[in-house]
Parts: sequence; structure tokens; C-alpha cells
Amino acid sequence: MIKRIFDWLKQPLGLIAVGIAVLALFSLAAYGLYTTQQPPAQPIQFPHWKHAAFGIQCLYCHPGAAKGPSAGIPSQAKCWGCHNQITKTTDPNSELRFLVKHVQEGTPIEWVPVAQVPDFVQFNHRAHVAAGKNCEDCHGDMGDKSQITIAQNPQVFNMGWCLNCHIETAGQDHEKLVKLSDCGTCHY
Amino acid sequence: MATLADLKISEVKLAAEQTGKWGMVIDQDICTGCQACVAACAMENNVTFVGEVDSGYGRSMHWIRIERFWEGEYPEVKMTPNQPMLCQQCGHATCEPVCPAFATVHSQAEQLNLQVYNRCVGTRYCANNCPYQVRSFNWRDYQRPEPLPNQFNPDVTVRRVGVMEKCTFCIQRIHKAQDKAKSEGREVVDGEFTTACAQACPANAIVFGRVDDPESLVSQLGKQSHGVKHLEELGTLPNVTYFKGG
Repeated sequence: MIKRIFDWLKQPLGLIAVGIAVLALFSLAAYGLYTTQQPPAQPIQFPHWKHAAFGIQCLYCHPGAAKGPSAGIPSQAKCWGCHNQITKTTDPNSELRFLVKHVQEGTPIEWVPVAQVPDFVQFNHRAHVAAGKNCEDCHGDMGDKSQITIAQNPQVFNMGWCLNCHIETAGQDHEKLVKLSDCGTCHY
Repeated sequence: MATLADLKISEVKLAAEQTGKWGMVIDQDICTGCQACVAACAMENNVTFVGEVDSGYGRSMHWIRIERFWEGEYPEVKMTPNQPMLCQQCGHATCEPVCPAFATVHSQAEQLNLQVYNRCVGTRYCANNCPYQVRSFNWRDYQRPEPLPNQFNPDVTVRRVGVMEKCTFCIQRIHKAQDKAKSEGREVVDGEFTTACAQACPANAIVFGRVDDPESLVSQLGKQSHGVKHLEELGTLPNVTYFKGG
């Protein structure tokens, strides 16, 4: 039985069938990998770089970063605090029309977080800000040259990258190195 | 190579005094066995509820449990004091050297026995090697019907199937207190925070704190002569002291 299948596969038609199957599998895998690399769809194509170029501090919209574990995402009320004074909101094709809609209807903007760590990692923004790290050290430069919108995360957060910085930061300080390379500092 | 038998007990005790950082004192004489600590621990640490079927197989999951023993034959049975049993956070833990994946490691910074969930492959060797039987294994992804997921503690990992877990001495609270103290430019004060079990105990039978600080409440209580460390003769250097019949 198996010999008959092999014999059929060895003839030209069989080889073509095998080739098509391999190609299909390969392209499926490639497509699967491609989808994991795509930024998620966001409710508004928020231009981070424009806001950074206007000189707005990161901590103005994400004040939690200096105070606690989570940096926080501003509510539409905070956006509207500035944007209700900008006449451009009347432009019907502006991305701002979505913000206007959310403000008028009083519904929250459902942003999809992009800078995430897995559940088994406990990250605290405050400790990193207090240690003198700048936002762009991890989140990438969002200045006016970058053209970065919200749906991009230039830095891949993996453990080797975290640990490299921890060890560099500790330097020759043994006590600091013990604390910063301890499993229990991030995983519990 | 020095074996455990070569170690003199006094040396073991000396090592215990040097290695411990966080410790606990449990007074069995005032423990009523009300299980408030068990419930508080499950809430704080996202410990799952396995249901009666799996419990019947001995797969119940608790990071702290109340053990009860009795003396004599029926009907003349006499209860001995309730014994809350949790991870003793051994200074020389038996669970640590047996893990093939280095998932249970000793924290050098906090002197605790850590369980690194993302490393754990679920061999269950550590639980079989623990003389206190305080480790619990996730045999399944147990269902949490709505609205139970709303009470998850965001500071603690929700463990998945095939992962070993155990008491962490509420390391998330330790980190929170340290972080708060650091942001205010001071040291963590004794009694500033405590574990969930100690916080919930209505009789204050559980006291948690620094054992390496001679001024802390745990250290002061630990000096009482009737304190017992369970299975100390195994050389595990436990960090929980029990009082019974004081």
C-alpha cells in the first residue's frame, strides 16, 4: 500500500503535487509569522510623533509612569482638554472626528496596548523612571523624525534585553546586581 | 564532601540566623482554625478552586492550610492546637536542588524560595521532595466562571496548567512596600505591611516581618523559648516559628 503511494508520488504529477503542498505549507507559515508582526488595529491612528514634536511631555498624558507600575492611557476627557480649543476639529476628514464622536457619545476609546509584557512578568514603571531611564530608552524615539503612530512598538521586550540593561545599570555594585538579577524581582 | 550529618546543629542554627531575611511567627495557642488565612491567601494570590472531584484525588490547591491532629482513641479524642502550614521559606530548601529546570531557585535578594512559573515544566519533583508538603500543582486549567476573574490580583501571575506553585510570603507586597519606601527615601518600617494571611487573621496568631532585624516584632517573639521550627532536624533552616503550649 505504502509502496504504491510512493510510486505514485515519484511520477511527474505526484512531484508537482508534493511541490504544491510544500509551497502551501511554507506560505501558510510565512503568513502566520507575518500576522504576528503586524501592529493591531487601533480605533484612532493617533500620531505620537506630532504630539512629541509639539513639545508635550510623555508624562503629561501618561503620568502613572512616575507614580506607579502602570503608565496609564489618557481618557478622552484629557485629549479633549486640548483638542476642544483647536479649530481643526471641524475638518470632516481628520482623525479627530473619531475623538469628537467619543467625546459626544461619552464612550471610552478602546486603545489596544502594544507595549506589553507577559502575565508572568511584573513590571513597575516608577522604579525605572526613578532610576533615570528615559521613556525612549524602551519605547523608542517618538520625535518628529520618527513618524510613529500609536500602532508601533519599535523595541521587542524580551528577557535578555531587560537583563542586559539591569546588569549594565548595576555595574560594580554587588548589592544592586543581586537585586537586579534576582528572578523574584520580576517574576512572581 | 560534607554531608548533612557532618553539620553540627549549632552551626545550622548559626547559618539560619545569618541567611534568613523574612520570617513568620505562628502562635498555635491562639489560632482558632477559622480558615480566614486560607481564604485571604487564595484571594491575594489568585489561588484557584479545584472543586470537590479533584480535591478527592488529593489535588486541592492551597498555599496555606490548617492542619488538625488529635490524640487518643475514639471517643476520648482530644484535639491538639490547629497548625497553619505554609511554605517555610527554608534557608536550605529541599525543593531547590532537585528542579531540573531551575524553576525553583533561592532569591539572593529576598532570601525566599522562588517559583519561576515561566521556567516550570511540571516535573513535580520539588513537591515530592518538600517535607512540609506545601507545594501545589496545577493539574488543570481550572474554570473561573464570571464574575470571578474580576477579583484577580493584578500583581500576581495567574498560573496555567502544568505549573507548580507555592506560598511566596506575599512577595508582591514586599516589593510594593519596598517601592513605596524607596519613593519616599526611607527604609521599610517593621509592621508597615504584612502578608495576606497575617492581615486576615482575626486572632493575630500570625506575625510577619524581618528576622534579620533584632528589633522587629517577629525577632522579639522568636526569642521565646517554646518556639519550634518544624522538621528543623532535616537541616532545612525554616523561617517560620511555631508556638504551642506557651
